[in-house]
Amino acid sequence: MKLAPFYGCMIPIKYPQMEAAFRRTMPNLGVELVDLEGFTCCPDPIFFKTKGVLDWLTVAARNLCVAEEQEADLVTLCSGCTATLKEARFLLAEDESLRDRVNERLKRVGKEYKGTVKVEHAVVVIRDEIGIDKVRESVVRPLDGLKVAIHYGCHLLKPSQIMHVDDADYPSILENLIRAIGAEPIGHDMTLLCCGKGCMDDDMPIEMIFDIFSSIRDAGADCMGLICPTCFSSFDLGQILVGRKKDTKFDIPVIYYFQLLGLAQGIPPEDLGLHLHKVKADKILSSLGVVAGAPPAPAA
Amino acid sequence: MAEENHPRVTINFEFRRKLDEIVGGDHHSYCYQCGACVAQCPAARYNDSFNPRTILQDTILGREDVLLAKDSPIWLCTNCYSCYERCPQDVRPIEVIVALKSLAVAKGVAPDAVASMTENITKAGVSGIITPAVQKIRERLGLEPLGEYPVDEMLKLLED
Repeated sequence: MKLAPFYGCMIPIKYPQMEAAFRRTMPNLGVELVDLEGFTCCPDPIFFKTKGVLDWLTVAARNLCVAEEQEADLVTLCSGCTATLKEARFLLAEDESLRDRVNERLKRVGKEYKGTVKVEHAVVVIRDEIGIDKVRESVVRPLDGLKVAIHYGCHLLKPSQIMHVDDADYPSILENLIRAIGAEPIGHDMTLLCCGKGCMDDDMPIEMIFDIFSSIRDAGADCMGLICPTCFSSFDLGQILVGRKKDTKFDIPVIYYFQLLGLAQGIPPEDLGLHLHKVKADKILSSLGVVAGAPPAPAA
Repeated sequence: MAEENHPRVTINFEFRRKLDEIVGGDHHSYCYQCGACVAQCPAARYNDSFNPRTILQDTILGREDVLLAKDSPIWLCTNCYSCYERCPQDVRPIEVIVALKSLAVAKGVAPDAVASMTENITKAGVSGIITPAVQKIRERLGLEPLGEYPVDEMLKLLED
């Protein structure tokens, strides 16, 4: 199966370890990745959208046109890109006059949005098209006994009218993907709470991160597992800053799903960029019997 | 009828019409003030000055002075989409709040951070800054270096 990834900005620039993990794990699921040229920022669904909703929609539509021209459905790795591109698709299908306004602008660059390509987050493509069995079959080192507190993030699931991924209140997609690599999903009270990154207040995200990590600690999880780089930016460095303010230390590694998958596929942790995280995963790695230190091999 | 029992309410329809012209702002009039949006709202849970129902109430009354004030509560929204999920009227409260934010940006009363967050995208076509250090980390991970993004094409789309 061939897939065309939309990497976005945050992953290639800020957290390239997530891109590396994705590029290294997908071939093991029988997937060939085809890189398309010509994308810009999705653009981001929080700040850029605020600057001008029609601007935001037109830039998103241009990215979808790039995929249309190459007849490729897009697979996203970031919940923000997923939100923007899927909402843009939804709005342009819902409102014909809006599509005309957007296409009027797209004419300036010789493009026209037709609505012929789909967009899904990588975890959805795995569940619905590749199959979770393929994940199970790719595992050479099951993450036995690893307790993973899942953080869903908001934009994979909501609004379900647009995302069509799972029950927004009782989701199971990530639990199933965590079980498929031999790890144990750990439920906790704050698993669906927002990471707070989109809020312009200084204090509120601190309280939210504190509550989320206290809840994970109380549940006895070894790490947090997630699928969104924005949530990661709230939680990796964030838990250290919040810990300082609240006079506590959480020390709970935050790991992108494709890094966990890579560990289960026997990929060395350096190749998955785990050493780039602020909160180190050394304790987990040694309990899994993973030896760190081998030099990285070239990515696919 | 005593005036004090029925205080006069003024509705600023001009403001509401302005909101209707913004994608996502036009569903505000569907709101019947049920409050379903409040129960799961993290911003309302963590900060008493935020309440999506009262923001919609102010919107229906067209209270521009409150909504587009420098310290407007709209900036406390976490963009989590729970209100969109809950709303039985398809108001899409978050989208109304985004539309209100865009009016605040146009009026020049948005927090400075909003402009700086979007500036990178309009300069480089991407939201982050591609430094030599970034390219070095990518190289060490076995990834290709990042090239140029079609920023000129994007800027043509952003002209009024």
